[in-house]
Amino acid sequence: MRPVTPRGFRDVLFEEAAERRAVTCSISDVFLRYGFRFVETPALEEYATLEAAAGSSLEGTAFRMVDLDGSLLALRPEMTLPIARLAAARLGDAPGPYRLCYAGDVYREHASLRGESRQFAQLGVELLGANGPSSDAEIVCALVDALTAAGLADFTVGVGTVAVLRALIEAAGAGEDWSRALLAAAHARNLVELDRLARDAAVAPAVGEALRRVVRIGGGREAIAACRAATEAVGCAGSLDSLEAAWELVEAAGASERVRVDFGILRSFDYYTGLIVEAYAPGLGLPLGGGGRYDDVLAAFGKPMPAAGFALSLERVMIALAAQGVEVPVRGLDAVVGGESIAVARECARLRAAGWRVLASPDAMRGELAAIASAAGAATWLVAGDGAATSSADGTPVSLASPPAQSGSFSKGGCCD
Amino acid sequence: MTDRRLTMAVPKGALFGDSLKILRAAGIEVGALADPGRQLIIDTDDIRFIIGKPTDIPAYVAYGAADVAIAGADVLAEAALDVVELADLGFGGCRFVVAERDDAAEAVEETYRRLGVIRVATKYPRIAEAHFAARGIQVEVVKLHGNIELAPLIGLADRIVDITATGTTLRENRLRIVEEVMESSARFVANPVSVRIDAARVMDLADRLQQAARLV
Repeated sequence: MRPVTPRGFRDVLFEEAAERRAVTCSISDVFLRYGFRFVETPALEEYATLEAAAGSSLEGTAFRMVDLDGSLLALRPEMTLPIARLAAARLGDAPGPYRLCYAGDVYREHASLRGESRQFAQLGVELLGANGPSSDAEIVCALVDALTAAGLADFTVGVGTVAVLRALIEAAGAGEDWSRALLAAAHARNLVELDRLARDAAVAPAVGEALRRVVRIGGGREAIAACRAATEAVGCAGSLDSLEAAWELVEAAGASERVRVDFGILRSFDYYTGLIVEAYAPGLGLPLGGGGRYDDVLAAFGKPMPAAGFALSLERVMIALAAQGVEVPVRGLDAVVGGESIAVARECARLRAAGWRVLASPDAMRGELAAIASAAGAATWLVAGDGAATSSADGTPVSLASPPAQSGSFSKGGCCD
Repeated sequence: MTDRRLTMAVPKGALFGDSLKILRAAGIEVGALADPGRQLIIDTDDIRFIIGKPTDIPAYVAYGAADVAIAGADVLAEAALDVVELADLGFGGCRFVVAERDDAAEAVEETYRRLGVIRVATKYPRIAEAHFAARGIQVEVVKLHGNIELAPLIGLADRIVDITATGTTLRENRLRIVEEVMESSARFVANPVSVRIDAARVMDLADRLQQAARLV
């Protein structure tokens, strides 16, 4: 047989794996700096559990399989629902807030020939049991910091809210079918259809005009003012208060340079209840990640609790880094240690205990070591002798305290580098 | 980001002439796009134009190879990819219809009654399937690449789903329209990320094209 991976799954080898680990650690470290704590959930969930919160959107995206007792299982298609499930089942009755974060693989079914991965890594945070502008701002700032820490030179975080569109739909009072059609048009990002629906005879002209205008408003603080102006006449400006307050906090934190307010971000209205965020890198046609506030999801698990978070796609972050020519600092081998085998064993143990990354090359002689070090990608080579290991260049003993400098700077994440 | 040229995909074929016309009417410098010869990529100061097969354009935009594009609503619906529809440009109007042989109405009904399924030939399997699924009618879709109106005549399918502007081709082939599926016209679309991070330029283009559409 020919050993291959299933369609949409792949192996990740050396350099790429090292770079993915490094970026994962840089981003994870940002999560920790905000007081988020790592959790892990199983790759499999009961299908009914996911369905209770995600509804029909699961159809066609979740890998499904049947358990021995006949119940339906699903590989997690995203991390937010498993974490909400965990919060409902495991966190007890304290109201929170809870700050949870994760780095894990998710699995999605795709039609054949789309060429898309079916397993990808997500990094994200969920802030549960807290709402209001300060928790919204915390999500936005953590996203900005995470992308900065990943090393991206150029990115934008788009921030919007579903509250404005929801308020306008309410104000339109054009019935359930119309409201559903409008949300569907917004979800499909079809502004042509949205305009058509806004001109519907059943909609008050002022509300229709406001609808058509707001989805095209974007920018900095002035965009919030523009949206306020567009919605004031129809009594919907109050839906902006929370976003405006959050913006001020983001500005105070110094993160607003990377952030763009955008009332055209239209995603998953059945799921999000307030803030929505999306991260973009120029030239990458897909968002790096996104999220928002989903205050109703935990109620589906019998534990109503406000919640907000975001998830980043590690794959897309890596593509954006490559596109921007960012070299991810990865620390390789510090040294190859040659010499008589007993001495090599002793010196390697000492160096490793001191934090060096060394490759033992017993019985390799002085003349061969340069070639071995070069092939292994090690920064230097050492010869183990009676006393300490001695450096290749001048025969002086090496200092255990400091591994030799390598090209590029190491990330100082601490969890790994 | 503004130092980057915006990339716009333009469909060759039936929509090309009107696309050019509306771009000019919107005051957009088209340069050599007016007479591209065999070139498929044409740069002006502001825009890089890509000339593509109409059915490929949704993919160009969804994957970010083009920031914006002109594309028919029909191919957008068939591709079902993630793009932002910004403006209805009005031209390229056509209707999607279900048609059958003008003498076959009873026979098709009879087939459906006895077999519970009819066979439908189309260039647009996704649109056809969605249309019949919404009506609870079981169909077997046969995907063809052209001369769809031939299918009922040679016994390949009971009905077809196809686009028609005037209905002439259908009539000439003795086909009769059974029902409407959807209407289509040319749309101005954008990549979901481009519309966010290049919002000023993309929305400006959308506005100018929308206004030009009203005038043309």
